[in-house]
Parts: sequence; structure tokens; C-alpha cells
Amino acid sequence: MAKIIGCIGTSHVPTIGVAYDKGRQADPAWAPLFDGYKPVAQWLAEKKPDVLVFFYNDHATTFFFDMYPTFALGVGERFPIADEGAGLRNLPAIKGNVDLQAHIAESLVNDEFDLTIFQEKPIDHGCASPLPLLWPHDPDWPGTLVPIAINVLQYPLPTAKRCYKLGQAVRRAVESYPEDLKVVIVGTGGLSHQIHGERTGFNNEEWDLEFLRLLQFEPEKLTQMTHADYVRLGGAESVEQIMWLAMRGAMPEKIRKLHQNYYLATTTAMTLVLYEEGEEAPETAARATADASA
Amino acid sequence: MNPQLKGIEEIGGTYAFDIRTSNKTLKLNRFLWKMIGSGWRERYKADPEAVMQEAGLNDTEKDLIRRQDWLGLVRHGANFFVLEKFARVVRKTNLEVYAIMRGESFEEFMQTRRVPESR
Repeated sequence: MAKIIGCIGTSHVPTIGVAYDKGRQADPAWAPLFDGYKPVAQWLAEKKPDVLVFFYNDHATTFFFDMYPTFALGVGERFPIADEGAGLRNLPAIKGNVDLQAHIAESLVNDEFDLTIFQEKPIDHGCASPLPLLWPHDPDWPGTLVPIAINVLQYPLPTAKRCYKLGQAVRRAVESYPEDLKVVIVGTGGLSHQIHGERTGFNNEEWDLEFLRLLQFEPEKLTQMTHADYVRLGGAESVEQIMWLAMRGAMPEKIRKLHQNYYLATTTAMTLVLYEEGEEAPETAARATADASA
Repeated sequence: MNPQLKGIEEIGGTYAFDIRTSNKTLKLNRFLWKMIGSGWRERYKADPEAVMQEAGLNDTEKDLIRRQDWLGLVRHGANFFVLEKFARVVRKTNLEVYAIMRGESFEEFMQTRRVPESR
């Protein structure tokens, strides 16, 4: 049986990809970000998951607004990394496991999540920005992805609660797959940021840390919030944090935090968190949070 | 009214991109979206007027594009995530676009950030 061994929440800021490609890992302005990924990359290297299920959003690259899916699951052995206007990146195409992807699609649809299925489509920075920081890729990726795109661009978006339920359904799908695969769930986006209109540049660190606390200990409170609540508290584009709720929904009730990195350099609170199943006192988690952002 | 967006109109400087907006600005957003294709962006660079015409932009939209009026485009209903593809083609970074939308010079904007040298 396939098993979920942990989950990772990560920003997917496109400039992470640009800085990575330019080799700025040791640049003082970027090192706090790249160094923050090392413990998670190390954990992945030790645990050797076969599969990453990626909850991400397409930034009107693969899909356009003339036909924009609310939930879409990618099926294929390979997905090229998309050209988003600046040319192609030097990364191998993302790998997939068609049988697992098809099983998850069947399980989700039979569980009343009526997904769009996409095939032979490129995938943009929603996956490709954090992926090379998590997994080595020379000469190729060590495992496969199950890409699940969520509409966080064109309202009406799925509610926070619906995303959480999607995560729960993904857990049922993974756990009903007969092969012994190790699976890690990745939720991408956020945290606080706004990148359009006069309110561009808005951040809210206090809310970001509260969001992380609620995500770990009281996720149902986050599922009750409206999109307007997320926009007010974290900036317009932080509404994409509903994808972290999909990740959380795939995890058991009690999770413990193994690592956190919070780096608000310019406009997005670039955040990385790793959780496993287990007990943790809120005070311990809060202390780790304070250390990470100090 | 989408109940998930109740109260969003009270948040200043924010333009929720919904189906109604998208329906009105589909041609503009498609024009911007197609900048991910190397053929489209090379043709745009060679003859912007012809490509805007072919894309079906109206006069207001053409003017906003000609002037690279980033905030005007957002207010008109351009989605930022296709706008940023156009920004790549005209050699503007996102940080530069953010500064312009705030009505600040690039250096002024960067001084409001925690790590101004992160660019």
C-alpha cells in the first residue's frame, strides 16, 4: 500500500527559479532562502519518497481563462517545464507515474471530485520554482510527481474547505494504491503577498505566523475563512494558501513540525515548512517559529 | 455577488479578477498570455501594432499597452499573471512593475523592502 510519510509547504515565487538558475545560492540576499531548503532536501534524500503529490496553481500558462479548470490532475510520464515568456530553463522534464496518477484520478472522481485531466502539457513555476531546491535533478529527478492544479486566479475559486476536503480525498486515494510507494504531499504558494494594484507590496508577518499555527493545530478554523478574509489578512495573492489546506487535509490530525524557514526579503513571505505525523505542543512549535523568523 | 468575496470592495488598491471581468477582457488577457510563445513575442517586437490589431484589442487597450501603463492595465481588468509574461518581453522585472504600480521609483520601492539588495 502506498503511504504518506510527510508534507511540505513551500512558496513558489518565480524569482526563486531565476535566482537558482543564475547560481545565486551564496549571494547574501538569497542565502537565507536557499540555506533554508537544505534540511528539507536532506530529509527527502534520507527518506527517499517515490512520489511528490504537488498541489500548485497554474499561472495562466498551461491553461488560459477561455477554459480554466478548478481542479486539474496531470497524467503522463513527462511534463516539460514551461516557457513563461523568458525562454526555457535548464531542467529535465518532470517525471510521472501514469498508473498512480490514473488511480488517483479514478479514486478522486469516484469520491465526487470531478477533476479535469491534462496530458502532454508543460508545467510552470507553480511546481518548477521550488522543485529543484527540494530534489536533485542531475541527470534526472529521483522520483515522480502527481501534479494537481487548483484555480486560485479566476474567481470563483474553490473554497478553503473544499481544498481541505480534496486533500482528505487524496489521502484516501494514495492509501488505496496497492504498490508500496512512499509519498510526500507538497502544498505551494504564499505566504503573505500582494502583487497587483496600489496595495502591491502588502505583507503581514503576524498573520503568516498565526496561519502556520492554525495550519498545524486548528486547520478547521482556516477552512471557515472566506477568500476575502485571506485577501484582507495576507494580501490578494495570498489567497493561494488554500493550497496549503489541501496539503493539510491529506495529513493526519496530529502533525509535528521538523523544519521551518521564513524569509520575507521583498514582496512575498517565502516560507518553507516540513511536517510529519506526530505529537507536538503548540508552545514548542511557536518557539521554533520565533527562532526561524528571528 | 460571490459570498466568498463579501467585503473585498472595502480593501483598497485591490482588483479581484472574476469571471465577469475575465469575460470583458478576454482578448486583452489572451494577447498577454500568448507572450509565452516565442513566435508571438518575436512578431510583437517586430510589429506591435499589427499584433495588437490581430489580437482584437480595442483602442483603450492598445493605448494602455503602448504606454506600458501597468496599473491602468490592472484596473482595466488585465490579470497580473499574464501581465508578467508581457513584462518579460518588454524587459521589465516584476519588482520594477510593482514599483510603478505603487507610483514609486524603483529605488524608493526597494527601500521599503526588508532586503533592498534582493533583486
